Amino acid sequence: MTRVSPELAARMKKAEGFDANACFHCGTCTALCPLGYKILPRKLFHDAMLGLEDRVRANIPQIFSCLLCRMCEANCPSGVHITDNIRSLRSLINRQVFGLK
Amino acid sequence: MSAQKIGVFTCHCGGNISDYVDVQKVCDAAAGTEGCALAKTFLFACSDSSQEEMMEAIRTHQLDGVVIASCSPKLHLETFRVMAHRAGLNPHMYTQVNIREQCSWAHRHDMPKASEKAVRLVRAGIARASLSRPLENIRVETLPAVLVIGAGPAGMRAALALSDLGLTVYVVERAAEVGGRIRALGKLFPSGRPGREIVARLRDQIAGRDNIVVYTNAELVEKSGSAGRFAVKVRAGQETISLKVGAIIAATGFAPYAPQPEEFGFGLPAVVTLPEFNELLTTSRECLRVNGRDVRTIAYVYCVGSRQSEGNQYCSRYCCTAAVHAAIQAHEIDPELNQFHLYRDMRAYGRNELIYEEARQKGSLFLRYDGGEPPTVEREGDGLLVRVRDELSGGDSIEIPADLVVLVTGMVATSNQRLLDVLKLPLSAGGFFNEIHPKLRPVETVIDGVFIAGAAQAPKNLAESVASSMAAAANCSAMLLKGHLDRAPLVAKVSAETCVWCGECVKVCPYAGAIVEVERDGKQVADVVPELCKGCGACAAVCPSAAIELEGYTNAQVTAMIDALAAEVVS
Ligand SMILES: Cc1cc2nc3c(=O)[nH]c(=O)nc-3n(C[C@H](O)[C@H](O)[C@H](O)COP(=O)(O)OP(=O)(O)OC[C@H]3O[C@@H](n4cnc5c(N)ncnc54)[C@H](O)[C@@H]3O)c2cc1C
Ligand code: SF4
Ligand code: SF4
Repeated sequence: MTRVSPELAARMKKAEGFDANACFHCGTCTALCPLGYKILPRKLFHDAMLGLEDRVRANIPQIFSCLLCRMCEANCPSGVHITDNIRSLRSLINRQVFGLK
Repeated sequence: MSAQKIGVFTCHCGGNISDYVDVQKVCDAAAGTEGCALAKTFLFACSDSSQEEMMEAIRTHQLDGVVIASCSPKLHLETFRVMAHRAGLNPHMYTQVNIREQCSWAHRHDMPKASEKAVRLVRAGIARASLSRPLENIRVETLPAVLVIGAGPAGMRAALALSDLGLTVYVVERAAEVGGRIRALGKLFPSGRPGREIVARLRDQIAGRDNIVVYTNAELVEKSGSAGRFAVKVRAGQETISLKVGAIIAATGFAPYAPQPEEFGFGLPAVVTLPEFNELLTTSRECLRVNGRDVRTIAYVYCVGSRQSEGNQYCSRYCCTAAVHAAIQAHEIDPELNQFHLYRDMRAYGRNELIYEEARQKGSLFLRYDGGEPPTVEREGDGLLVRVRDELSGGDSIEIPADLVVLVTGMVATSNQRLLDVLKLPLSAGGFFNEIHPKLRPVETVIDGVFIAGAAQAPKNLAESVASSMAAAANCSAMLLKGHLDRAPLVAKVSAETCVWCGECVKVCPYAGAIVEVERDGKQVADVVPELCKGCGACAAVCPSAAIELEGYTNAQVTAMIDALAAEVVS
């Protein structure tokens, strides 16, 4: 059981450089990720947008290990800017979790 | 006058028949049957060249009856009746024998028996043809007026179209005001125009027509007559009004699904249905408030009352789009809202996809639930808590604290027993009016002259409701503008001499008013009203005095056919 944080959901809507609305969950990105992370990036974006804070926190190592290789992004049929989203998430986590300015 | 010189034409149907029936044998048997003046076979009897050849044969041999042994009369009875007519024969001197569906297709395993059966059927056909009489169609003068039941958008739009075509229209509305379900609604997809405005516009247009009469607080209470000439009674308030119309359109609409107590938390404060939410949107400025609290988070539960495993199994079509459209309006009122949509499948089809896309762009979030494991809604503190297993998050249970839960309620059929008793329309499994054929005859019903339009037929959005009402209007005018209707003359006929007016026939006749009591030569006898009789033959079968006969299937014809069927076939 994990709980929606309306605050995080609201923050994600405004997070600079983050936009995954066009994603229709085809799974191309997950299949192509060379690191083989099941969570990246499609489910991660969904969790972040819903404001599932626990799950975003649990995936911090994966978020920071992403190679930004853009294998997924180049093949996303919906044109989601996947690596921009990862960067945006990293910056949000740096501020919120690690207290970096 | 009965047929003495009958032409019998047997068809191969390009192998469909001849692969399993010995067509030559059938032709030879026909040639040897009394009354047959000419027997031939054809590869495809329905082809143009074959029809030309048959017409030529009818003229040169002066045939007075024709039998074609081919496919089902459902397929080509009319084709060949027209052919006979073009060759100068009365179309009712033609008899079709079905040796395809009833012989070759049914008995592929046994060619000799299939052929024998074909011979018997053809002999019976010849027997019928030899006792046929020329018959004339029954002509009904039609009335240039239409009754429209229900003044929702479908009924109002149909009334205007019929008025444009010059027909007089009587509109009967049960409620105190016209406009149907959209009368009280705010902005509607796809254009965003409020329902109130659409209704006001239609109402004004109708008010400007002198050939449309609208009765409100009114209901249809009686109907008699038949297609082209109905007599109806309408109760409007205390008054009962008698009207004469040629056709009827039932556009009685739908009712929004009313959730059961506790269904998805229904009954809790701040759990509302889609119509209630539409009302809230109409009255809100800058922020949504429910029960004195500001709304920060909305959760929508889709498919409430639709797509149930038991009960309403259909999809209500309009609700996915109406819900995402409502979410866009909510966003416009308060862009800070969090909106979570718990859906099963997103059916914002066609161009409505763009409305769904816009909702996502404006921050609406979508979680997908499985119909077998629906979300739950309960009270949590001052607010609500929604639990859902989200398939898009890998089936995890997710809790959403919400201030408002919108139940995306579907459409159900209106309860309309009184109207059903009067019109006798058949219903579909969901309780909506049934059409004759969902693809090819979508607004006609089994009751000739009664059409259906709008959401009374099945869940429909506004555009679809209006499109079907236009189709119904076109069907009515196609029927009425010609001024008359021709009906097949295959109806029951009473012999006044033999009839003893026992009344058995009236008891079995399924069509009200088709058999009446009249006085002939000083005695009471039964009489058939040809416009109302459908030629089912129920009365002819029960009459103990054999006083009733069915035209085209007289007692003499049927007896002769039975004799022919039973006669020996020598192989
Ligand atoms: C909350 C909600 C939002 C919607 N939003 C949209 C939208 O944004 N866009 C869209 O395209 N569609 C929308 N729809 C669907 C739309 O309302 C229907 O498609 C439309 O109302 C169907 O029109 P109708 O004339 O067939 O039926 P109705 O609107 O139901 O009208 C039927 C009329 O018949 C009358 N009647 C019923 N029985 C009798 C009787 N026995 N005798 C006389 N009169 C009778 C009723 O009183 C009523 O006036 C929405 C529906 C709902 C519930
Ligand atoms: S490839 Fe693009 S559309 Fe497909 S799941 Fe990944 S982000 Fe979504
Ligand atoms: S239109 Fe959408 S919400 Fe309505 S019943 Fe169909 S799938 Fe469910």
